[in-house]
Amino acid sequence: MRRLLAALLVFFASAAAAQGALVAAAANVKFALDDIVAAFGRDTGHTVRVSYGATGTLAQQIENGAPFELFVAADEASIERLAAAGYTRDRGAVYAVGRLALFVPRGSTLAVDATLADLKAALADDRLKRFAIASPEHAPYGRAAQQVMERAGVWDTVRPRLVLGESVAQAMQFAAGGDAQGGLVPLALASAPALRTRGSYVAIPDAMHAPLRQRMALMKRAGAAAIAFEAYLRGPMAREILVRHGYAVP
Amino acid sequence: MDWTAFRLSLWLAAWTLAVLLPLGIVAARWLATTRSRARPWLEALTALPLVLPPTVVGFYLLVAFGARSPLGDAFARAFGAPLAFSFAGLVVASVIVNVPFAVQPLQRAFAAIPAEVREAAQCCGLSRWQAFVRIELPLAWPGVLSAAVLTFAHTLGEFGVVLMVGGSIPGETRTIAIAIYDRVQAFDTGGAGTMALLLVAVSFATVAVAFGLSDRWLARATR
Amino acid sequence: MTLDLAIRHPVPPLDVDVALPAGEIVAIVGPSGSGKTSLLRAIAGLVVPHEGRIALDGHAWLDTARGIRTPTRARPIGYVSQHYGLFPHLSAIANVAMSLMHLPAGARLERSRACLAQAHVAGLDDRLPRALSGGQQQRVAMARALAREPRLLLLDEPFSSVDRSTRKRLYVELKRLHDELRFTVLLVTHDLDEAAMLATHLCLIQRGRIVQHGRTADVLTRPRSVAAARLLDLPNLFDGVIDERSGTPTLRWGPHRLEIARAERASEPRSTAWTILPTRVLLHRVDRPSRGEHENAVACRVVDMVVLGDDVGVRLAPDGLPETRLHVKLSVHVAERNFLSPGRDVTVSLLRDAIVLLDA
Repeated sequence: MRRLLAALLVFFASAAAAQGALVAAAANVKFALDDIVAAFGRDTGHTVRVSYGATGTLAQQIENGAPFELFVAADEASIERLAAAGYTRDRGAVYAVGRLALFVPRGSTLAVDATLADLKAALADDRLKRFAIASPEHAPYGRAAQQVMERAGVWDTVRPRLVLGESVAQAMQFAAGGDAQGGLVPLALASAPALRTRGSYVAIPDAMHAPLRQRMALMKRAGAAAIAFEAYLRGPMAREILVRHGYAVP
Repeated sequence: MDWTAFRLSLWLAAWTLAVLLPLGIVAARWLATTRSRARPWLEALTALPLVLPPTVVGFYLLVAFGARSPLGDAFARAFGAPLAFSFAGLVVASVIVNVPFAVQPLQRAFAAIPAEVREAAQCCGLSRWQAFVRIELPLAWPGVLSAAVLTFAHTLGEFGVVLMVGGSIPGETRTIAIAIYDRVQAFDTGGAGTMALLLVAVSFATVAVAFGLSDRWLARATR
Repeated sequence: MTLDLAIRHPVPPLDVDVALPAGEIVAIVGPSGSGKTSLLRAIAGLVVPHEGRIALDGHAWLDTARGIRTPTRARPIGYVSQHYGLFPHLSAIANVAMSLMHLPAGARLERSRACLAQAHVAGLDDRLPRALSGGQQQRVAMARALAREPRLLLLDEPFSSVDRSTRKRLYVELKRLHDELRFTVLLVTHDLDEAAMLATHLCLIQRGRIVQHGRTADVLTRPRSVAAARLLDLPNLFDGVIDERSGTPTLRWGPHRLEIARAERASEPRSTAWTILPTRVLLHRVDRPSRGEHENAVACRVVDMVVLGDDVGVRLAPDGLPETRLHVKLSVHVAERNFLSPGRDVTVSLLRDAIVLLDA
């Protein structure tokens, strides 16, 4: 009986035993971060496990006790909230500034136009049935997409045709999958090699939305590997990768 | 091909079976033979996970044993790690979600045993345990097998609850169903397809082997 | 040495208070719904009465007053239910072995084989119940019940679903086993003839109550109440008035004065129910004058006759009681010899010792 209890304890405790650093990251940095993690592994030998998701969802998971050591968010507000509640070591640092892109899948009737003029036209002549963005409630990029469309004066007309992804990854799915005629998605995703054959994109001028400053912070439980990775993310190698994927770096 | 996720899914299905089958057998037998007035209510309770959407179940489970709940807090303090977002948490969630798949076939199987046979066991002088193992369990075996196969297959494919309660932590709570979803979102349809095919093949093989073994087991038991 | 039963239970209703002789075959007879199966189940412990005491030879298995409640598995009983309750997934020998779990595996198999042989179903050891005939299943169930060497064997209509010739054979086997092993047998049946053949003691049960019990012959020939007479399906149920004022006890039946055996002292005439077995009504021979001291001769007219095999059931209308029917059972031979036919006048004797007075 006692041996059974000991085995149970080991089983449950192993939940805490980390194999390398455990990182929660916003869906928009997926392709960039995968490259950085690979580089980090080559340079230091540490493994990093990343869980991607919508920033809002990840923040909730952390509040519910998810054992992440580093949170790479898509905005600043989430980090600030977690810091105020005492989950983080400090208020973290801005690691990148994001940009939006208009993505149009192959065969779509929409034109790739950074001013969104064709979008307006498509709405008027009913060419546009569905348009994908991330949910403004959960994702900072969704909020930015809303700001862009308000600026362009199409928000009210496009609203009934919107397909909301619960994360930018899902929005990207909708846009590239062909179910929507196009979408406003992170530039980092739209420009990814995996999507080259799926359609075309154009970057949206960042004057059209509030700056997408992305902040990250270490959690109180962060171990050595996580601390090293956070530093690496602010280092030259990582910054180069981020720029390559379409981010601006501070 | 995410072998870690695959192993995790199998491990989760195995643990769920190991915990749920014994508990399910005890509960189902009681439900099948009791004359208590609470029975219809308890039956409705076991059917509840079927009726609720997986995400709702996941949400309630997080409320019940997430870090902000008294249960989750006590657990974290006792074991040094949270229950939610851990493999152990997945097992708990999976057991709860699979209750109807296990209890319903088991209950039907136990109820199908004629009262005359049960009483004959008592009149032969068999102890409660002997009557259960030698008479009731072999007669209820088809139900046990159904319950096991349904639970195993259902757990392999479970997505909503696992995502809510486990997050998608590689090596810990990222099961193969979630890994497939991840691959699709990364536009790696090739990788997603491979894993999906493997999942189907394994599920199919498990069910076939289980039914095949069952025939041989029954033949031996009735000798 | 007795089986003491004092059982009170609301649903199904039981209100029993008897001491039955141990070591004998006791039949419990009643119509369907009379509570005979419930009684058996209560004795087995499958139903726990609200109130009562069940004890065999002084060992109490149930005593609600003292909080004694031995579970079924601990009572030294064997039970054969109506449909035998054989374990469908086990062979005949495995079924019997289930009664012998207190023995090690080797001894268990040997004894199981011996029990099956004793029950005349050797050679069917490995067959499953569904591959056995009704009679074979009954014997396996009996073997299983007897394997434990029980002190009380409870049989719930075990012969009802078996054909006649098999049934006769099974009766003989049961008697032989009982003679050899001398356990107490409680046999529930709705068949009076079966009870008469097998049992030395007979209980009549109705609506959960024991109407009469005693030695089989006594109960069959001397019912004590109208209810018992009805349960025994006796056709001659009449009303009369007992009158002892003249010194000798007399039963007034319509215009007839019948001499009866001494009744309780009754200063005033009182009405009573009475009966006489159809086989105890004596037909006067047509060609011989009446004889005998206490003849109680009654003149009748034959109403009708029904031949059933070797016997004929005759219904007579006594003089002065034209609506009453007196049933007589005669052999065909006697009926023919006396030229009986509907409409003929005959005289019968209702012997004093054959008249049975009944309580209400």
